[in-house]
Amino acid sequence: MAKSKEELLQQLSDCVFEMEDESVAGVANEYIEAGYEALDGVLKGLVDGMSRAGQMYEEEEYFVTDLLVCSDAMYNGLEVLKPHLPQEEGAGAVNYKCVIGVVEGDTHDIGKNLVRIMLETAGFEMYDLGRDVPLISFVEKAKDVNAQLICLSTLMTTTMPGMKEVVDMLKKEGLKDKVKVMIGGGPISQAYCDQISADGYAVNAIGAVSLAKKLVGMA
Amino acid sequence: MHTIVLPRQNLKFTYDIDVEDSLLNILIAQQIFIESPCGGRSSCGKCKIKHLGGNLPPLSFDEKQRLTKKEIEEGIRLACLIYPAADLEIDIIDQEENHQVLTGGYVPQYKRDTAIWKKTIEITKPTLEDQTPYEVLFKKVLDINHLPWDVLRQITLGEGTYTAVFNQDMLIGLEKGDTSEMLYGVAVDIGTTTVVASLINLRTGEEIDSEAAINAQKNFGQDVLTRITYVLDHGKNGRDQLQKAIVDSLNEMLQTMCGRQQLSPSFIYEVAISANCTMMHMVLGVDPLSIGKSPYAPIFVEEKDISALDIGLTALSSFGRVYCLPAVSSYIGADIVAGAYVARLHNRTDKVLFIDIGTNGEIVLSDRGKLVSCSCAAGPALEGMNISNGMRAADGAIEEVRFDNEKGFVLEVIGNKTPIGLCGSGIMAALRELLKHNFVNARGNIVKPEELEFGDPRLSYIDLDGKKRRICIREGPQKILITQGDIRQVQLAKSAILSGFVALVNAMDLTLSDLDEVIVAGQFGAHLPVESLVGTGILPKAVQEKITYIGNSSKTGAFLALMSLETRHEMVTLARAFDYLELSVTKGYERLFVECSQFNVT
Repeated sequence: MAKSKEELLQQLSDCVFEMEDESVAGVANEYIEAGYEALDGVLKGLVDGMSRAGQMYEEEEYFVTDLLVCSDAMYNGLEVLKPHLPQEEGAGAVNYKCVIGVVEGDTHDIGKNLVRIMLETAGFEMYDLGRDVPLISFVEKAKDVNAQLICLSTLMTTTMPGMKEVVDMLKKEGLKDKVKVMIGGGPISQAYCDQISADGYAVNAIGAVSLAKKLVGMA
Repeated sequence: MHTIVLPRQNLKFTYDIDVEDSLLNILIAQQIFIESPCGGRSSCGKCKIKHLGGNLPPLSFDEKQRLTKKEIEEGIRLACLIYPAADLEIDIIDQEENHQVLTGGYVPQYKRDTAIWKKTIEITKPTLEDQTPYEVLFKKVLDINHLPWDVLRQITLGEGTYTAVFNQDMLIGLEKGDTSEMLYGVAVDIGTTTVVASLINLRTGEEIDSEAAINAQKNFGQDVLTRITYVLDHGKNGRDQLQKAIVDSLNEMLQTMCGRQQLSPSFIYEVAISANCTMMHMVLGVDPLSIGKSPYAPIFVEEKDISALDIGLTALSSFGRVYCLPAVSSYIGADIVAGAYVARLHNRTDKVLFIDIGTNGEIVLSDRGKLVSCSCAAGPALEGMNISNGMRAADGAIEEVRFDNEKGFVLEVIGNKTPIGLCGSGIMAALRELLKHNFVNARGNIVKPEELEFGDPRLSYIDLDGKKRRICIREGPQKILITQGDIRQVQLAKSAILSGFVALVNAMDLTLSDLDEVIVAGQFGAHLPVESLVGTGILPKAVQEKITYIGNSSKTGAFLALMSLETRHEMVTLARAFDYLELSVTKGYERLFVECSQFNVT
């Protein structure tokens, strides 16, 4: 007997949550073949699983690497569901766009990747510039895609000043109010955020989600 | 008159009771030397002897402070605190054992061929008939073409015996009289945290004394990156401050050793320095900024042979030299080149992996002499930092932990004091026990109390902080807890090192079982027993039987550079032969990192 939609959504969510990155595609296929809506599969299945994983991370039950495996599972499921998503989303819906990257001079990107995944999960359209990103690229990309948010990350004290430069460039271009800047990484603090007049600082990838939503006014 | 017998050394002598004379002084008067870095001021606890027979005064307060319970039970005493008044039978604790922390380690064979050498000459007084300038006289006797002007300045009233000091084929100084017996150098390892120096008799290769100190740059930041950032924020002035801090430390250490050995610093002619790349830049006053940013290119990596005065190093001969060992890159510094050389990685015929564990873990793999290296950012957790109850390895630090169902957690504490926290080896030992006794599962999670059966002995150690679980390894007014967050910190470090290890082995198309030896280097590594290294999964179980320790091979490399020009040349060649594997751009690295984060892999 075919499984109910709820049952399959639960399975999709569990596959992500329980790090079953290999079995998720099978479940996603089953879900599509049963004729259920792809969008629900993403939001109420995969993304739900990722949010639960994020919650566990915050409670220290999940380790960074656990989250990475969860996200692998989520992307494997997405690959199956994506072709079945409606092409045009409902008119009038705001697309929140975010440019993210590790600032110039730094090549550590695991933290940045996690933030990208969690923001993607939360519904942001992400533009990931990677690591060791020339500072001007953040501003140019944000202008280019009309992003509301820039996320800057670094693990090294030596490259922190790059964050200030990005903020200053936005000021110079008169974009400071239009584009919010969020910063994070090992040596970053709220004090530093205030000092360089960035718009927000998040301790970890989970904190980054609520902060990002607040900054862009996402419900 | 009383007798002291040292049966193991087959020595026997007599002494007169004098309330002023400690056992240490009595022994020194007999030319029997015990390590006593503080000079008998009862502050270092190093001058240990074993009491075998005869009456000794009761244990003093300071001895109780400085000796462990085990040592006290074994009859260990401190010679500087005992004022004997009876016939005694004692044993001297092995000098080597005492030295081990500072210098310890394997020294390979070398051909003695020091850069610094001396030649004694006779200069006859010029006469009115023959007014040959001294310059010409010296040149002729020494058979050299050129007499540097700074050496000329050392010539006073000319005739008599002189000793010429050469650095390779360069005359660097002239000393009045025959000083050929006096030829000393210092081998130095500058670590980010500690600095170690050994005073070496260049004529014999003998290590006369050694000294360790905390790197005074710690005031500018604990890790390399923070210190580089200090220079970034303070410019040239910051660079000068950092250079002065380390050079002052070196001057002090040289003076301390000379004082203890009653040696004039003017007979020290060369200081050979091994260090990581950042420390080498900083001691020479070279801008370290580029090391701290991608693409992490340093200003220099080649060997340096310079005047000691140029960097402000003054506690040696006024024409003394500084030799800096060559490095490979920002990550693979002279310390690793030295280690690879001491371990003979370049001419091994088998497959051997060399690992220096610290804030950064550097790994070198030699596949029958072909070398490839990588560096992993382990973070400071392994050294007891970023751990809620973490501390440096000092008095009160837990350094070893054992668990059994009957006794619970049994702790070994440095200085036998009330435990205050865990040092690096302590946190490792604790995690090892937690994993072994299933307090923590392979994913690094502390077991949930609700999953344990009633009466499970583990239950009484799990401490709840709201929803979060912690493990209490010591009860009492000052609880010592290991939190889930602490375990995550160590897990990150372990993932970084193990994944580097495996990536390197993979890159050479080898498997873990192909390795014939795994050599653990460095001060910190020396404090990590195989049981902890493998038990926490920093090193894979497959190499358990193959782990050996090489001690402070960085300083040994500096020692070899002092003693043998041949080794210098070989180290320069070796440094050029390194390949480097950049992990972050290695295919599949993130996946490997994830796999290596589990505690049950390999």
